[in-house]
Amino acid sequence: MDAEAAKLLGAGIAMGVGALGPGIGLGMLLGKAYESIARQPEVSGDIRTSMFIGIGVTEAVALYAFVVALILIFVA
Amino acid sequence: MKHKKLIWGVVALILLAALVGFDILKAPGQAHEFEVAAEFELHPIVTLPTIGPFDMSINKAVVYLWITAAVLILAAVVIRLSLKQQPGRFQVVIETLYGLAHDGIVGAVMKSGRATWFPFVAGAFFFVLTANLIGLVPLPFAEHSQLGFYTATANLYVTLALALCTFVFTHYAGIRQNGGLRYFKNWAPPSAPPVLRQLIWVIHAVSEIFRLVSLAVRLFANMLAGHAILAVFFAMALIFQSYLAAVFLQGASVLIYLFEIFVAFIQAFIFAILSAVYIGGALDQEH
Repeated sequence: MDAEAAKLLGAGIAMGVGALGPGIGLGMLLGKAYESIARQPEVSGDIRTSMFIGIGVTEAVALYAFVVALILIFVA
Repeated sequence: MKHKKLIWGVVALILLAALVGFDILKAPGQAHEFEVAAEFELHPIVTLPTIGPFDMSINKAVVYLWITAAVLILAAVVIRLSLKQQPGRFQVVIETLYGLAHDGIVGAVMKSGRATWFPFVAGAFFFVLTANLIGLVPLPFAEHSQLGFYTATANLYVTLALALCTFVFTHYAGIRQNGGLRYFKNWAPPSAPPVLRQLIWVIHAVSEIFRLVSLAVRLFANMLAGHAILAVFFAMALIFQSYLAAVFLQGASVLIYLFEIFVAFIQAFIFAILSAVYIGGALDQEH
């Protein structure tokens, strides 16, 4: 395998595997948040605010994988 | 009536997509290849001398930042002059956004210092929101002055500067509220045993740096990924070398475009709310 192919493969694997964990995490986060909004609609504002904070933190992990993939393709 | 407007909106978006697609197609000299990465390269429009380590040249990102600033200033003046006791449609939208920044972001996560830090958090919110939304308007700054999508926030330097503002203000707020020594001491809980306390302090110090990095990289990577997907979908005719694929995928690009409008809002909201959380955390330290 030449270096260019290894780079592209590595970038693809980094993005794909790196999106697995945050995907599961986001699913759990959103599921729980909607569940609690359905149970207690009167506090939906508070739940939504903390849900967005959680989304931001969870999503960042996938975006690190994205940046690593970009670095593999364009910089390394 | 409502559906009619929606249909017209979708038709307008499809026409916009077709316009950009054809603009890419008739580009001189490079009609048969398309590089996504080239859309994000910064070439100086006006070359200016380098002062110290800073290259003062004006490039695409600088122009986009100017446009953002101009739109914000103009909007502020127009909104101030057109405020009415009985709000019209436009004013209701503005009041909703202001209310979101005031109650939904600052009011929801900060305990003290709301009035002091509301201007910064709301400013960051509206700046990032405007910059993101302007990135979704095709402007003639791509290569060969074609219409193209670019956004100032798809540039790590811009988002890092924004995140640095939050970083600096966080520690400034903490030191001003709690006093310098006490603020840094409180990074670790005083009740913990001494050796553990030092360890926790170091972990907290590292996490402060990673907050800065993640705040910058989150916005940057989201906007870059969104615009890369937009560019790929708008250039489907070039990539597949077939108009049939383009007809279907140009339609799909409208869906991506609508999703990107949503992402622009969400990212501005998340940036502002995390800034508010960090500043609020520095103001009201856990003892």
